[in-house]
Amino acid sequence: MAKADVVAMILAGGQGSRLGVLTKNIAKPAVPFGSRYRIIDFPLSNCANSGIETVGVLSQYQPLALNTYVGNGHPWDLDRNNGGAFILPPYQRSGRSDWYKGTANAIFQNRDFIDDCDPKYVLILSGDHIYKMNYAEMLRTHIETQADATLAVLEVPWAEASRFGILNTKDDDVITEFVEKPAKPESNLASMGVYVFTWSVLRKALIEDDENEKSNNDFGKNIVPMLLNQGKKLCAYRFSGYWKDVGTISSLWEANMDILDRPHEINLMDRSWRVYSRNPVKPSHFIGEGGIVSESAMTDGCQIYGTVKHSVLSNSVTIEKGAVVKDCVLLPGVTVRSGAHLDRCIVGFGTIIGEGVQAGANVTGSSPYLNTKICTDGIVVIERGLKIRDHAVIPANSQVDRDVVVSEEDNVIDEVFRV
Amino acid sequence: MFIDAMGLIFGDNKKITLGELSRPRALSAIPFGGRYRIIDYMLSNMVNSGIKNVGILTYNKYKSLMDHVGTGASWDLDRKNFGLHILPPYVNSEATSIEGDEEMAGLLDFIRSSRSAYVIIANSNVILNTTFNEFVEDHKESGADISVMYNRDGTKYGSPNYILEVDRKGMVKDMLFNPEKSSSSRSSLGIITMRRELLIDLIAEMMARGSGHMGIHSFVKMYDTLKVHAYEYKGLILRINSVQTYFNSSMLLLDNQVRADLFWNGMPIYTKVKDEAPTLYSDSCHVSNSIISDGCRIAGSVEDSMLFRGVAVSKNCDIKNCVIMQDVHISENCHLENVILDKNSVIRPGIKLVGHKDYPVVIGKGAIV
Repeated sequence: MAKADVVAMILAGGQGSRLGVLTKNIAKPAVPFGSRYRIIDFPLSNCANSGIETVGVLSQYQPLALNTYVGNGHPWDLDRNNGGAFILPPYQRSGRSDWYKGTANAIFQNRDFIDDCDPKYVLILSGDHIYKMNYAEMLRTHIETQADATLAVLEVPWAEASRFGILNTKDDDVITEFVEKPAKPESNLASMGVYVFTWSVLRKALIEDDENEKSNNDFGKNIVPMLLNQGKKLCAYRFSGYWKDVGTISSLWEANMDILDRPHEINLMDRSWRVYSRNPVKPSHFIGEGGIVSESAMTDGCQIYGTVKHSVLSNSVTIEKGAVVKDCVLLPGVTVRSGAHLDRCIVGFGTIIGEGVQAGANVTGSSPYLNTKICTDGIVVIERGLKIRDHAVIPANSQVDRDVVVSEEDNVIDEVFRV
Repeated sequence: MFIDAMGLIFGDNKKITLGELSRPRALSAIPFGGRYRIIDYMLSNMVNSGIKNVGILTYNKYKSLMDHVGTGASWDLDRKNFGLHILPPYVNSEATSIEGDEEMAGLLDFIRSSRSAYVIIANSNVILNTTFNEFVEDHKESGADISVMYNRDGTKYGSPNYILEVDRKGMVKDMLFNPEKSSSSRSSLGIITMRRELLIDLIAEMMARGSGHMGIHSFVKMYDTLKVHAYEYKGLILRINSVQTYFNSSMLLLDNQVRADLFWNGMPIYTKVKDEAPTLYSDSCHVSNSIISDGCRIAGSVEDSMLFRGVAVSKNCDIKNCVIMQDVHISENCHLENVILDKNSVIRPGIKLVGHKDYPVVIGKGAIV
């Protein structure tokens, strides 16, 4: 392996169970986002745009879609002779074999990969945030402050600070304490889950952490507090700009809507910092006669004959005449049949919404599919690869899941197919 | 799936000019169909047939063609063995140059380096989505030396047009160039196949005789000495011979059946990926019966039109029957009808441009109106 000054490691192995059926078959970073993208496109494109060319992608949960998506890294210019994109699954070894037990353990298990690159610095990223960030600038700060670790932070509104991992700092943004979701926050600097470590420091910490049987092997919970206890210098790097954790259905929906409502913040049109993605190879989209599209985003392969308002459509979505889609996020290949009315729905790959289906935030009633643990704010989530029965009624906060056992009368699923 | 053939595409055509559109670029590099260029269709046809070795012949203005096809990665033609080759004129200052020789010398080396049994040679003024497997099989069975594809378009597309007269066995017995009227409606598509060895012999002979320009129809014309078989193609064909046919063919794509035949028959058309953002529609926009590509921002009204990638249509604009190429910016309060706008052009606020359906206004690349 060629030597690299910095290696980026993207933690992409988590299940993302709060995304419900959206992550039943694919890892969270592979979930489509913002019409053209998958979530992992953001950290991968940030790496490419920051000039970081050795990127490890740690995959574990349902890796098939993620692995094929990342592939050889070509869409992000990461098909390099020196470096490139590497999928790093857990593997069997002669002594013992382990799944990745936590974020820190995933890096620990791949320390040989990093050692082979012999970097001075390691950048730890998560595969479930939407943001554009120049890691090179963060790295420069890390080098200038001679820190052992630098954590990217975002100033969040004080009222929301208790929802985040908060970093308390003293002068010069030197970190004194890390508090996970504090009831009474002392600071409003939220950790973004973006870390730069000096590799020699991190390497030692990972080995110590592995020896501690009580540890959860997690960066936030274990590694950062341990380094602080050891008196290492940890600095906060202030980031300003759009950043969103898309770990829940409501935040995923919101982040999609941000593309429409706050287009200048995430600024996908910025050609100096493009977000790259794997291309679906479909023709340009088509708006038919009588089709109505407003306040929406869409991409190749869509065919619109009905009404699309304030929605984000991935590639190859078909909206038939007389169908109305409002405040929705439709993933690739969804078909909405005539007369169907969707409001605040997230619909998975290839699902066909039957004629006259009523689903979403403005639909009331009871349903065995109601699931307020996953679905909030009236959002309805529909699993991939389903044909939803004509004229089915799906009330707000429902999650249509093929594995939920329901009576014939309540069933809204006609057919299940592979997509 | 498997085909023992290589491909050759004539990237330009000395008989066809599209005014402002072909001024900065070769015919095959002209954008067509939203996110594509003309070459994408033929390249994809060849790749979808299983061809892994394609040469593109050019003679001038090939910069934008080279930018577009690059290493051939978008068509999976970036290969260790064979893959995609651009064949510019082979300039040899030492040789006494006969016109047309430069093209052939470079070409001959390329064809000799291949190991395929057959070669498919195509012009780039027809748009279709097909595979050539059946064509090659039919050629083998026919016992002919050369096979040429045609359809029944007759004389309706105008010049350049090669009409084929065919005998009862399906062999070409006459070929007419731009006839005003003809008893035959068989119009050549400019796509032929033959054994690679035969092509080498024919080119070598042409060079020896110093017979100058080589083209697809100079091979078809050999029906006196060789057996030339005519093969009818029954699928969708769009021809691009002029600005008018370019415009008409673009507008035909607004038809659902035409789009289904060209784009949704299961064989993808590949093109260079641009990584544009998704297109954003504002609350004030009105879009109807239009093809729209990625990266557009639409705030005005767009009807019966085709927008390429990265086009901006500002508020209170009224766009009708237009073909608007990549990265064009249309400012507020403009009214455009029957206009073709080439790449990067800018329309200042309040401009009104109206062409005729049969004679569209063409605004050149990078122009500011």
